[in-house]
Amino acid sequence: MSVLCPEIPTPGFSFENCKRNAVLETKGFALPKAVKTGTTIVGITYKDGVILGADTRATEDTTVADKNSEKIHYLAPNMYCCGAGTAADTEMTTQMISSQLELHKLYTNRVARVCTANQLLKQYLFRYQGYVGAALILGGVDVEGPHLYMIYPHGSSDKLPYGTMGSGSLAAIAVFESRWRPDLEEQEGVQLVRDAIAAGIFNDLGSGSNIDLCVIRKGSVDYKRTFDEANKKGVKQASYRYPRGATSVLSTRVVDIEEVAVQRIEPERMEIA
Amino acid sequence: MPMLGIENSIMDDSNDWRNAAHSTGTSIMAAEFDGGVIIGADSRTTTGAYIANRVTDKLTKVTDHIYCCRSGSAADTQAIADIVSYHLNFHGMELGEEPLVEVGAAIFKELCYNYRDSLTAGILVAGWDKRKGGQIYSVPIGGMCVRQQVSIGGSGSSYVYGYVDANFKPNMSKEECIKFVTNTLALAMSRDGSSGGVVRLGILTEAGIERKVILGTDLPKFFEG
Amino acid sequence: MFATENAYYPDYSTKPIQHSFSPYADNGGSVVAIAGDDFVVVGADTRLSAGFSIYTREQNKLFPLSNTTVLGCSGCWCDTLTLTRILKSRMQMYHQEHNKVMSTTACAQMLSTMLYYKRFFPYYISNILVGLDNEGKGCIYSYDPIGHCEKTTYRAGGSAGALLQPLLDNQIGQKNLTKVSAESITQEKALAILKDVFISAAERDIYTGDNVMINIITKDGIKEDNFELRKD
Repeated sequence: MSVLCPEIPTPGFSFENCKRNAVLETKGFALPKAVKTGTTIVGITYKDGVILGADTRATEDTTVADKNSEKIHYLAPNMYCCGAGTAADTEMTTQMISSQLELHKLYTNRVARVCTANQLLKQYLFRYQGYVGAALILGGVDVEGPHLYMIYPHGSSDKLPYGTMGSGSLAAIAVFESRWRPDLEEQEGVQLVRDAIAAGIFNDLGSGSNIDLCVIRKGSVDYKRTFDEANKKGVKQASYRYPRGATSVLSTRVVDIEEVAVQRIEPERMEIA
Repeated sequence: MPMLGIENSIMDDSNDWRNAAHSTGTSIMAAEFDGGVIIGADSRTTTGAYIANRVTDKLTKVTDHIYCCRSGSAADTQAIADIVSYHLNFHGMELGEEPLVEVGAAIFKELCYNYRDSLTAGILVAGWDKRKGGQIYSVPIGGMCVRQQVSIGGSGSSYVYGYVDANFKPNMSKEECIKFVTNTLALAMSRDGSSGGVVRLGILTEAGIERKVILGTDLPKFFEG
Repeated sequence: MFATENAYYPDYSTKPIQHSFSPYADNGGSVVAIAGDDFVVVGADTRLSAGFSIYTREQNKLFPLSNTTVLGCSGCWCDTLTLTRILKSRMQMYHQEHNKVMSTTACAQMLSTMLYYKRFFPYYISNILVGLDNEGKGCIYSYDPIGHCEKTTYRAGGSAGALLQPLLDNQIGQKNLTKVSAESITQEKALAILKDVFISAAERDIYTGDNVMINIITKDGIKEDNFELRKD
């Protein structure tokens, strides 16, 4: 392998640092913690489709890492997927399966089915024996109608009319178990999902910030990013603008702009022959 | 990880039920009767103390005439059932007729035995074929395969071996056998904490499968102290 | 079968299992105190939690010990209850023996001694003791769980302590600033900063939220104030 002609990397994960890291860990050098989406994600089926919901907090231990994280991922035009667990795993897994579904659609010339996405996701997760820490709620509408699947990190899946996942799943399932019924109207469904996520946001410390919703019907999707701002940020009382000269200047050097060599890179033309 | 009836102690990296493996801490059974077999299962899937699914269907289709009852890790048993289903349907197409139940059981056994170190799966394979009629094969953890006239499995089964031994009779009528399977599962579910919900039944005969559900409120009641 | 170990049926395992009891719990919460020339303000959020659940959204963590002294506690709540109970009875005993109320400085010394008394089974608390000293100036004493005591003019402790202390260093301590004003902090400014830092802490620390209970201590006594934080 040379610098001029880099080797094409082999597909799949690289495990080259596993042994080294294991040795380092025995010597007390712990791995950095991955960002977990201590999360509330939910999904229901209603009269004409499915509704997915998620909070927007991502945590690193007890610190909020992202106050407005997007947890409802695109899979296909008729399918979306909520992700809980390790943030990187949910993101990459859904992206990868999304790409496979797009190819599958082009190959078969048909709208991809939700059961196909379920099978692709669970087989991928099973292959990695739970080490890919993605807990997913898959929802979509296809020729057979609306479908909702819960997919666990180890690769098992359940087909259910409603379900919740993540650290706020208990708070959210309590809302569903008391108020979900078959053939809900869209308005009722949206309200129910909102309330379930809100229950997670307020009662589970791992969940917080806003509510995202995604309504999938036959032939149309409403992705409602920040459907509800469940929490308003407090208003600051004092001003925190620094007065001019607050930062000390230790030394000054002026460089004339013409003395700096500018290298211009011409963009290459794309070959379209 | 969701489990169907067996506590999973392999996952020792965390005691958090949310990260724990799903397992079918389960009650499953199958019994031969005059004309076929009856398979049955509870509907509870647990992650630790949490019920991840209270309406699970643990009676999984392999071919039109062969079904399996799953216990152990939900992920493992679902994956195995999918793979066996693929092989057996392929085999059926090459054969030009319905595959034999014992062939299905042999494929289950092959996978469960070869991957015994990494699988947690206790499976009952049941079905009907024209050579031997209704048959049940038990493939427990470790990958053994043995034919039985009646078989029970999952964590709930330990409570009802006595009942099964006392009440099973060969060549029962369909109605009699349904009653027997329902009673056995109801008893197992009432004693085993990781079994519960509804009773799902499947009656496998020459005609294929006939499915039944007995809701929790309609289950037979026994002594409850 | 003679296998002593069965991974699948832990009930039948013959290996010894160690069960342990943990006497400590981290119930979270943050305390912030700012002292001025003739006052001191102290605030604590009112959320009491464990793990990912909230026990209550309205737990006062400020304990008035006298007309000029207040103790703010966060950490293990059961230790806080025990410590403050003993502290109050020690205050009463002092009052009865000497026929005067214990001063803030004396209180500070006593707290240090009480914490070090449990050097090898400590109270798992982050303590911040505030009050007016013998000249009527605001003073703050902050402690580690085993009795180390430090006198300061501003302090943040508890679950968001590490988040807020650098902010206070800059805004009140005027660290890393060239134009340092010689004026001492006013009560209004101290109160505004106190409220603002709690708003910020509630944004990033999951154990800080719901409400803030504030005590303003002047020569006229202790005034209470309360304001809302986000509830998620």
